[in-house]
Amino acid sequence: MRARGAAAVGLGILAALVVVALAAPLLAPYDPTVRAGRPFAAPSAAHLLGTNDVGHDLLSELIYGTQASLLVGTVAALAATVIGSVVGLVAGYVRGAIDTVLMRLVDVVLSLPVLPLTIVIGVFAGPGLVTQVVVIATVIWAGVARELRAQVLSLRERDHIQALQAMGARAWYVLPRHVVPAVAPIVVPQFVLAVRTAILLEAALAFLGLGDITAKSWGTMLSLAQARSAFLTDAWLWWVVPPGLAIAVTVLAFALLGFAFEEWARPALRMPAARPARRRSAVMAVPVDADAPALHIAGLTVEYRTDRGPVRAVESVDLTVARGEVVGLVGESGSGKSTIAAAALGLLPPAATITAGIVDVAGEPVSTMSAAALRALRGDRVALVPQEAMSALDPVRTIGSQIVGVVTAHRTVGRAAARDRAAELLGLVDLDPALVRAYPHQLSGGMRQRAVIAMALANDPALLIADEPTSGLDVLVQGEVLDLLDRLRERLGLAMLVISHDLPVLERIADRIAVLQAGSVVEIGPVAAITYAPEHPHTRTLVAAVPRLVPAS
Amino acid sequence: MPSRLRVLLPRVGQYLLVGWAAATLNFALPHLAPGDPVDYLYAGETLGLAPELREQIRAGYGLDRSIPEQYGAFWAGLARGELGTSVQYNRPVVDVLMDHLPWTVVLVGLATVASFVIGTALGAWAAWHRGTRRDAGAVVAMLALGSMPGFWIGMILIAVFAVALGWFPSYGAAPPDGSGIAWLGDVAARMALPLATLTLAGCAGVFMLARATMTTVLDEPFVRLARAMGLPEWRIAIGHALRNAVLPIYTYLTLELGVLLSGAVVVESVFAYPGLGRLIFEAVTVRDYPLLQGAFLLVTVGIIAANLLADLTYPLLDPRVRVAA
Repeated sequence: MRARGAAAVGLGILAALVVVALAAPLLAPYDPTVRAGRPFAAPSAAHLLGTNDVGHDLLSELIYGTQASLLVGTVAALAATVIGSVVGLVAGYVRGAIDTVLMRLVDVVLSLPVLPLTIVIGVFAGPGLVTQVVVIATVIWAGVARELRAQVLSLRERDHIQALQAMGARAWYVLPRHVVPAVAPIVVPQFVLAVRTAILLEAALAFLGLGDITAKSWGTMLSLAQARSAFLTDAWLWWVVPPGLAIAVTVLAFALLGFAFEEWARPALRMPAARPARRRSAVMAVPVDADAPALHIAGLTVEYRTDRGPVRAVESVDLTVARGEVVGLVGESGSGKSTIAAAALGLLPPAATITAGIVDVAGEPVSTMSAAALRALRGDRVALVPQEAMSALDPVRTIGSQIVGVVTAHRTVGRAAARDRAAELLGLVDLDPALVRAYPHQLSGGMRQRAVIAMALANDPALLIADEPTSGLDVLVQGEVLDLLDRLRERLGLAMLVISHDLPVLERIADRIAVLQAGSVVEIGPVAAITYAPEHPHTRTLVAAVPRLVPAS
Repeated sequence: MPSRLRVLLPRVGQYLLVGWAAATLNFALPHLAPGDPVDYLYAGETLGLAPELREQIRAGYGLDRSIPEQYGAFWAGLARGELGTSVQYNRPVVDVLMDHLPWTVVLVGLATVASFVIGTALGAWAAWHRGTRRDAGAVVAMLALGSMPGFWIGMILIAVFAVALGWFPSYGAAPPDGSGIAWLGDVAARMALPLATLTLAGCAGVFMLARATMTTVLDEPFVRLARAMGLPEWRIAIGHALRNAVLPIYTYLTLELGVLLSGAVVVESVFAYPGLGRLIFEAVTVRDYPLLQGAFLLVTVGIIAANLLADLTYPLLDPRVRVAA
């Protein structure tokens, strides 16, 4: 759904409706308030939509109904938007007691049932266009106020507003110059959604007989059709369907506009889901070669499709991780580290394609596998330790059930056996096995990263890919996690590809280090060689950037 | 758990405030509205009344006392469970409301569950396929559905399924007599169309929310990790993504309940379904003010009760508020 398309359709419908409303006297074949034919007439050349119970022409009523429906809807929504915006701005900016009182009021209005509230006030106020507008505005301003206040509150936290306040600027100076322009874009979608609600409320009120009898709206037409049981005869086709469709199309126009605003505000809603693309070229049964390196990348080139043509993220990369070896991959952000990791996991986003080269994991050709074979490989032969330790675990499931999930995704084992395995794995990463029952929020950042490592080890992978495994952890915990990885590697003979922008992290854990710059490996060699005898200028820059304690001589 | 209480207590305070506001609005409206409150008590039948009689009625209802005194008496009456007398039924408003309440509770309850299930399932499906034609089609269909007035959907369903096809009865909730399975079957058949109407009118809102939350959750690191661990796609979708996306949708349900109760007012009127909504419609038509006010208060209290229920049951879904860190 393209937001632009939705907005265009919505605006188109609206323009047509406004024209119909303004040109009603020219378009309508009859005066809708006078008897134009015999009552209950079926559609004919003289009356395209027939007549109602007193002989009014239904087509003319429909055309004139545009005026009342649009008028009540837009005026009520405008009033509600103005009131709501002012209340939201004041409450959000002034805060304190005024904010508390106003927001309590907003909460109360929002908690009351909308239509019954509208009806109760409407009945006492009496029928009429003006009272309808007032009643509807009274009921819907609160939603606008709440939204605006939230925007103002987040705006207040911005640096330039805080700076103004620190300099002693008064509210009457800051509000119109800095706050109002910033929240104005929010007001428009709020108004659009308010119109939508207002038109539907007007229809419901009119349907219940609380509309203005002298200015018939579509809701009034439906109310009369209901009272005369038009839907029990064929008359529903020309008496019930057209006004209802008119309401639906009008409301839809505003809903489409609101939808477009929301899509613009949240680009994620427009992006295709980040799922691995389906591939049909299936190369399945490759005999597992026990001597094959854990990871073998040769001549790998990856391109991303973008609006401005293909962008090459990785170019002719050769990289091998032998069994039991730890290779570090260092590079700045955007150098292609994550793309290489994603390629090794068979998790490249749909926009990326491998244009040349091969990727083998434990002798299996990742770059040509079917999606199903890749899924079977991931979490089994190759596992990932991701960079977001704090949010990498599902917050609503226990640590144990998440480890069990990884085990049962690849092995047919009983529940009890999988649970035992989960406890055993937690022990392996120096966590209390009783934590299988714990939820992620009960664990510290370091403990969560250990739990994620336990998940990665669940099926004895041949290769572990650690993507910035220590990011977001404090320095002491970083050291513990690196020590843990080091011990696991000794104990399990694990091969690892450790990705980091942080050279010291790699120096501490890796056997060899590969230096990545702009998608190419510019230098690769043992840690000592990279640290003490860097050859490539980029490597030298990286090494020089690390502060070192030089022993006093 | 004290931390739970700290969250819950302000909510309860908020609900008390809402209940107070609804009741006070009921008290204030007859006084604020143009004309004599006596007229509102007797649905305008008092218009030609002699001034002496009018004074007698005023004294009988305590309308000659000061506003604070009247307000006190109003709350004393509420505390005794008195909501006045219905003009139309000539019975205590409370009794009339209780006769009609069960039908609305069943109808709106079922519609809430149905629109939640359908809206969530479709919204999650659309988010899973977002950016594709399937997603666009679902969005357009749901926006269109949400743009139709509930009572109009009901009228169309009657014209098609009750009149033209004759599959379902179009009005009432239960035959006057009968028992056992046959009676229940008849009740179900009469509920089918109103239930379908309310569900159709209600699921669009749930759909849009479910699509938006599911989209957010699908980008969460834990979904990426589940994929990197080789979990089957359906287990990622249901076990992880949907399981998390359900949380905000569940809190939205109480808002949805307000929407559906509003829908019930007009939809029950179309189907002559003997619930609270139909009662409100009748009260409006004959200007039975005491009955209308009582119904408004009862609906408000119902929404508050549902909110409280949601607050109390939410921890069952979200361990972060159930288990302290």
